[in-house]
Amino acid sequence: MIIDIEQERLLVVSDLHVGNPYSSASRKLGAFFEYAERGRYNVCINGDGFEILQARFASMAADSVGVFRGIRRLIDAGLKVFYVVGNHDIALENFLNVWSGIQITPFLNVTSGDARIRVEHGHLYDPSFVRSPRFYEWITRAAGPLLHIYPDVYRLWAVYEGAKQQVVRALRGGKGERSVYHEAARMLLRRGFDVVIFGHTHQPEDILFEPGRRYLNSGNWVQGGTFVEIEQGQVALRRWEG
Amino acid sequence: MFNKPISSSEAHGTELSRTYEDAQFICREGESSAEMFVIQSGSVRVFKASPRGELELAVLHKGDFFGEMSVLEGLPRDASAQALGDAEVLVMTPGALLVRLRRDPTFAFELLRRLSGRVRSLNARLVATLGVGGAAAARGPAEALLYQSEAKEQKGVA
Repeated sequence: MIIDIEQERLLVVSDLHVGNPYSSASRKLGAFFEYAERGRYNVCINGDGFEILQARFASMAADSVGVFRGIRRLIDAGLKVFYVVGNHDIALENFLNVWSGIQITPFLNVTSGDARIRVEHGHLYDPSFVRSPRFYEWITRAAGPLLHIYPDVYRLWAVYEGAKQQVVRALRGGKGERSVYHEAARMLLRRGFDVVIFGHTHQPEDILFEPGRRYLNSGNWVQGGTFVEIEQGQVALRRWEG
Repeated sequence: MFNKPISSSEAHGTELSRTYEDAQFICREGESSAEMFVIQSGSVRVFKASPRGELELAVLHKGDFFGEMSVLEGLPRDASAQALGDAEVLVMTPGALLVRLRRDPTFAFELLRRLSGRVRSLNARLVATLGVGGAAAARGPAEALLYQSEAKEQKGVA
């Protein structure tokens, strides 16, 4: 298993949720992978790429054919595809691992130019997940059928998360109270990283904590389509318009 | 040159940041200490005394860590570390390490990975020394082989 890599050109996407009936990933990723191939970028799927927890296996399998084909094309073109495991795809870790070509990893320490970059899904800092992973999985699975009644349940979840953060901030009496993900990113940045990239929250973010210490969230491909572009140590959050 | 850093700050509750000037010692072989270090900026040279003089084990850079054996076992330092140019390090005592592991679980993974790499290297050396796997152990000082082997195994260049 490789966790330390040197990369001059890398694209990071997260939370594709391929298999979710309302994920736009399976429709858009083909063009995105073509963009990666033309630009000679390696690709990192930063967790929750495939939806095994909430979607039916049949729909995940159907939607993933095109995605795997795109990944195979990148690998055949001599590019690398890394897959950081998230919380919706832990069960697929071994399955993906034996599927040759994709490099499965729990997180990546990327050296690009002079920058050290941590790429990690971020669920390990989610208080709900850490407090009770089994309950978290159960509640996530239970929410699965909701996708067929109200497919945009992810938007509700994002609203809930946002409201929860606001309540926590208000209770603590601090306007600028930092989120748990920002705190986690700061912990990592103190270990000699210049940039930390998470996914998981579905909220694209780009925050400069202080000169040389930056946090990004690569967002999601359920409602949007954002990605992080790394090129010789330069890091940018971009929206996929393709 | 003493171990005293040029600056030190109670940065984050249980962890401490220290800055060292070029050639200052961060820790010395044989001394008692229960701290480990993560390089926040700059470089650090790790070396050990040997009958043939100083043996350089590794030059470490930003993000690398060292001194974990003392913090885990509470035994005297196995090697010395010296700043190469100005260097800033994050200092962790056993208590601070536990807090770090609780809040930054991937650090535990990296630490265990390092120790696992050492066990693997030692196993290979043992086999070589017993004559089963060739004479790799005879090519150079054992400790240097250990560090080189770790670096090769753990650094994936893509």
